[in-house]
Amino acid sequence: MSGYLLKRLFWMLPLLIGISLISFLIMHLAPGDITSTEASFNPKASEESRQKLRAIYNLDKPVIVQYGLWMKRMVTLDFGTSFASHQRPVFWQTKDKDGNVSKGMIQEALPITLLINVLSLVLIIAVALPLGVISALNQNRAPDRAITLFVFIGFAIPGFWLALMLMYWTGVVHNWLPISGIHSLGFEKMSWIAQAADSLKHLALPIFISSLGGLAGISLFVRNGMLDVLHQDYITTARAKGLSENTVVYRHALRNALLPLITILGLSIPGLIGGAVIAESIFAIPGMGKLFYDAVMMRDFPVIMGILTIGSALTLLGNLLADVAYAWADPRVRRGVMQ
Amino acid sequence: MQARNTIASKLLCKCQGVFLPGIFLSLAILLSACQPAPSEPSVNLDASYPSEAGGSLIDTMAGEPSGLIAMIAGESAASAIASNIFNSLLKYDKNLDLEGELAQSWEVSANQKTITFHLKPNLKWADGKPLTSADVLFTWQLVTNEKTRTPYGADYKLVEKAEAPDALTFRVSYPQPYAPALDSWAGLHILPKHLLFNQDINTTTFARKPVGSHFYQLEDWRTGERISLVRNPHATQGQAKVDRLVSRFIPDVAAQFLELLADNIDSMTLNPIQYARIFPARPDLTKKIALYKELGSGYTYMGFNLKHKPFDDVRVRQAINYAIDKQELIDGVLLGLGEPVASPYKPGTRWSNPSLHSYPYNAQKAIELLKQAGFEDHDGDGTLDRDGKPLAFEIVTNQNKQREMSAVLIQRRLKDIGIDCKIRVLEWASFVSRYIKTGDFDVVVLGWSLSLDPDQYSIWHSSQQAPGQFNFVGYNNPRVDKLLEQGRLELNPDKRMKIYHEFAEILLDDSPIVYLYAGYGLPAISKRIKGIDSPAPPAGIGHNSYDWYIPSPLRRNEMMQ
Repeated sequence: MSGYLLKRLFWMLPLLIGISLISFLIMHLAPGDITSTEASFNPKASEESRQKLRAIYNLDKPVIVQYGLWMKRMVTLDFGTSFASHQRPVFWQTKDKDGNVSKGMIQEALPITLLINVLSLVLIIAVALPLGVISALNQNRAPDRAITLFVFIGFAIPGFWLALMLMYWTGVVHNWLPISGIHSLGFEKMSWIAQAADSLKHLALPIFISSLGGLAGISLFVRNGMLDVLHQDYITTARAKGLSENTVVYRHALRNALLPLITILGLSIPGLIGGAVIAESIFAIPGMGKLFYDAVMMRDFPVIMGILTIGSALTLLGNLLADVAYAWADPRVRRGVMQ
Repeated sequence: MQARNTIASKLLCKCQGVFLPGIFLSLAILLSACQPAPSEPSVNLDASYPSEAGGSLIDTMAGEPSGLIAMIAGESAASAIASNIFNSLLKYDKNLDLEGELAQSWEVSANQKTITFHLKPNLKWADGKPLTSADVLFTWQLVTNEKTRTPYGADYKLVEKAEAPDALTFRVSYPQPYAPALDSWAGLHILPKHLLFNQDINTTTFARKPVGSHFYQLEDWRTGERISLVRNPHATQGQAKVDRLVSRFIPDVAAQFLELLADNIDSMTLNPIQYARIFPARPDLTKKIALYKELGSGYTYMGFNLKHKPFDDVRVRQAINYAIDKQELIDGVLLGLGEPVASPYKPGTRWSNPSLHSYPYNAQKAIELLKQAGFEDHDGDGTLDRDGKPLAFEIVTNQNKQREMSAVLIQRRLKDIGIDCKIRVLEWASFVSRYIKTGDFDVVVLGWSLSLDPDQYSIWHSSQQAPGQFNFVGYNNPRVDKLLEQGRLELNPDKRMKIYHEFAEILLDDSPIVYLYAGYGLPAISKRIKGIDSPAPPAGIGHNSYDWYIPSPLRRNEMMQ
């Protein structure tokens, strides 16, 4: 097993290098760089100074040389500093000679996005699992139809529209929830209980909106997995030997039906760090989606590459984790790996 | 284009979605007009209250500053906040004339080459240290230093010698008279030498915790959320009335508007739909929020590539100018909230030539001019042609709703007289790199700012046409070159005014661009804020924001106080 793991981990390296090279090239295919932003289109800003900036950032060199320079830094795990945000470190905080700390951009954006995504993933599973099971047990009857209709409406409804409607309803018409942002003014001076309540109130709508779209996938997955399993011989056997319906469904069927879910969860690990641009913009949440979107718009190459690198490393790790979890949960797969 | 530009184009689709919500939201708010408003404490917002100090004003902006050193940050969000923290030597008063800020007075030498600034006595930084001419000299050294990553050094590099003979005097000499110099000294925030002399300006954490000399100093900056400023007890320009300014970063305009409706913020800049459609339909809103109109800071134009045929022919350019109905654009795109311009200067200010008027809509005249230029519908296909080539071109613009809508209206008007145009809309960086820098375009719809200093050398002088420079339409008129050169040498405002009036007249005749409109700035401010000048003077509503006050009965319950 550990041999297998080592082999998988080793193969990630060339994969990561390949991904980063392709990302780097695609990024540079988009015309423009940090000196062609809307702010620099200012008659007071001279072309010479833009050329100077380009030289400072090595943007005047061939792409492959720039990639080499980036790679040289990455080997020491140095993600560099942002072009567009006063040279703030891309990934983690640094300290200057006077002890002033500059926080990393990803360091600040990641916890918020992670919190929202983990909570909404928990919410999705907590709701979608029972929905899927109920659907499967009532296949093609009213509850099944109603659930399917509901999750598809949730999937199809435009998130930004629903978000604005709910913001208007809960924030303007009724003063139930804050409209945007993640903290109230004066958050620093609250007790920790009030702080937790304040954060929860601010996160309620964003989490609800981002969960709604995810319900359909997981609940239908569980439903179909259940149906597959329920039609198999061993379930018939279990029923034939007189086990109660609950034991059959929850002890024998559900556990097997959940196996594919492991893969889905593994694949959603990289998604956890990717924020939703539109939701984050509407709710004014300074998360990863907004960070990435702004970086692309500003052609802030170090930030784009930083996020892509971390994202692809997590994707690969997520895949590995899913495979390992699968092997742990399913003896058939485990035996396959061992051979 | 799309295939080459995958990341960008994917995000573009997303980005367009961001603008859509506004429409839905507008509908929802209009529909719910009859709903009862949440109960509110009964205070009379319209009564008059005596001026008093205190309170917090919360406003909102879409973007977050990258740092608060304006010479490096460059974006408008940064200068909006930094200009509450830092002073310049000079400033523009409410009528957009120059007056002293840190400088008590200034004089120009007889040969117009040397400017001497006399600083006000006893100036202090927010940390209590004295502010002297050494700080001004230091700032000049910073902005002209080769290592400083600023795009704005050019104006200051023209200074041949800068000196600070004593603590209150700062003197600069130019090799030849340079009229925009005064404007440049009104645009340079003076930075503290004692905090920055041993720092790398490009990476210093000072950008995120600045110490300045203006009305406010930084209290707290929460990345991605807000910046709050508090009154600076050592302010050089007297004390502001409002204790605390909070700027929240809310990227989505619809969300900003909801916050305004819910009374969580005190001011925002509206778009024409919010101003002209939603507010009139909601009397409960106009009860607590006041709307203002001010001269916008920029104008939108349609520019021709003068190096491409047939736009090298002035008759074709004039014909198209006559064929575009500017009032229709103002009514359709800005819902009437803008005005036509005929020169690149703010209407009503000294530099704007009052005898100039934009081309009236006259389709007949357009057709005649095109006929003189040789364009007629010879083959009867509905499109004008010359030498067998149809009069057809592509209008390129960036993703900006107002520019896109203008392009569509123009397209229809031009179709009326037999010109066939297509529209292409691109994300900004791609647009600039692919079309503007390469000069590979026929017609663009873009905007320029209505600058406070009349110098337009970098936009219209024939020497400024290299890739990346701003005369990308390729305008070349020897007389205009001469005027622009003269205008830079003349420091006497009256003589300077004559020069730029003539320049604007020739420019209008030559029609290298069609001036479309200058939209108004539309601030909406809660009625709890008092002391606002209305109607707005040329400098805009914010010119006396330090005098705004919030009477204590109208203040929010604030936990922070």
